[in-house]
Amino acid sequence: MSQPVIRTLDLTKWYGRNRGVEGLDLEVGPGEIVGYLGPNGAGKTTTIRLLLGLIRPTRGSAELFGLDVRRRGTEARRRVGYLPGGLRLYESLSGRELLDYFGSLRGQRDRALEARLADRLDLDLTREIRTLSHGTKQKVGLVAALGAAPDLLILDEPTTGLDPLVQLTLFELLAEVRAEGRSVFLSSHVLPEAERACDRVAFIREGRLVAVEGIAAFKARAVRQISFEFAEAVPADAFAGLPGVTAVRADGTSVTCSVAGPVDAVAKEAARHTVLSLASAEPSLEDLFLAQYREAADAA
Amino acid sequence: MLRSVFGKSVHDLWRALVAWTLFTAVWPAFYISLYPSIGAVEEMQQLLDAMPPAIRSVFVSEGLDIASPEGYLNMELFAFVLPLLLMAWAIPVAAGATAGEEERGTLDLLLALPIRRSRVLAGKAAAMVWGTAVLCAGALAGLAIGAAAVGVGLDLGKVGAGVALAGLLALAFGGLALLIGALWGRRMVAIAVPFALAVAAFLVNTLGALVDWLDPWRPASPFYHYIAGDPLSRGLDPWSAVVLACGAVAAAVLAAVAFERRDLVA
Repeated sequence: MSQPVIRTLDLTKWYGRNRGVEGLDLEVGPGEIVGYLGPNGAGKTTTIRLLLGLIRPTRGSAELFGLDVRRRGTEARRRVGYLPGGLRLYESLSGRELLDYFGSLRGQRDRALEARLADRLDLDLTREIRTLSHGTKQKVGLVAALGAAPDLLILDEPTTGLDPLVQLTLFELLAEVRAEGRSVFLSSHVLPEAERACDRVAFIREGRLVAVEGIAAFKARAVRQISFEFAEAVPADAFAGLPGVTAVRADGTSVTCSVAGPVDAVAKEAARHTVLSLASAEPSLEDLFLAQYREAADAA
Repeated sequence: MLRSVFGKSVHDLWRALVAWTLFTAVWPAFYISLYPSIGAVEEMQQLLDAMPPAIRSVFVSEGLDIASPEGYLNMELFAFVLPLLLMAWAIPVAAGATAGEEERGTLDLLLALPIRRSRVLAGKAAAMVWGTAVLCAGALAGLAIGAAAVGVGLDLGKVGAGVALAGLLALAFGGLALLIGALWGRRMVAIAVPFALAVAAFLVNTLGALVDWLDPWRPASPFYHYIAGDPLSRGLDPWSAVVLACGAVAAAVLAAVAFERRDLVA
């Protein structure tokens, strides 16, 4: 088996008496995009800053490319591109000057790649950073992270401030990174964006990993709400016993089902009646966390 | 210019440095150009001679001849103003070195690059040294030009020694600011504490000449090593220079060690 790009063992960080993260065992392989999901304050940024050696673990260890980040972090970071959450750049520099500076400190750069990335993101590198909008600064940060063609991209909430079209471009870029056998570790608190971009997702809640799984398996288990408006009143019983249905609420002609996994049985049952409208709501990330968390608690 | 941490620091600081250098050159030039027009130099000397030696030592080092331009400069410029001008540069620059970036939130991105923290700190410390050296050169040039303009004969070797020691004194307190900034990441703390200690060190050295129980503590004060050897009449005492330089280097090395080990504030 090829060496993992990221591996943490019992990685733990306490800030005095406040928990950062606790006992993280995490692995990211080459050529995969792993989403790191959790509500704000769950420990996503703490994990990322531990990986980059910006803070030191209370316990446990983290390796990038098999190199311990505390002892050989400088060497490991040669192969890493990073976009911080809450990105702050040198305001008095232009985008190009910033790339010059970071490129010099890295000792390697690919101007052609930087120019291509700027072009794809529709970014003018000649403008002084202080004059740029929040989203445009984020683009500068992305070019800085992606521009060194690193083997591992660590992106903390990368879509913050980007408009939807630019987000799409970013996901295309990340897919290209994966196609070249390079890896991406990105944090997010927005589920749909992780679903779209990632091969696997890791959930963190209150500093602990709750689940790590493939996105397909995750989608299959996702509980979604489906609401029907029928031409006539339909009793709740008609749906209650169907496979995957976890809850049903009927109110006259409208019925709302919570369905885990495939919705086939529910759709077929509904088709026996006259359906005036139907709506399917994706579960919120918070709901999923709660569900995952309950499962984890039950299993324990 | 943006090829190293030092280059980036120079890029950020040079405008402020130009302004501060002008100020640091013009002020001494102004003082020395007043010297010939102080008609009462002899009366001042008599007044000083009449003072008890203890009181006199608050203003000038003992035995200094105010009637010479070097003696006049010692009292007017070197006792307090010049160190203050240099520290007013070195301390905030050193305090802002890592703590400034940490507070502005740019440090994470910088240190996520494949570069050692101590290298970042060294680059920024070098920028502080460079700026202080430029200021010292400016002050000396201001004195030389001012003296030449009004026809005062100044021993530039001895004045240069005084300026150099003042620069080393500023670097010692700058090193302290670097250390405090590296330890706590708070710029204002890294400015306030060294300034407060500089005032205390000034008082220990000055009052130590008057108060017996304080006298043994004078060598603990960097000001003692700066001025007590009287560089303006005796020239550069290499030992004083070494003590001050060692202080600055030791503080910078401790800063690098502390910075390598610390959790950075997000």
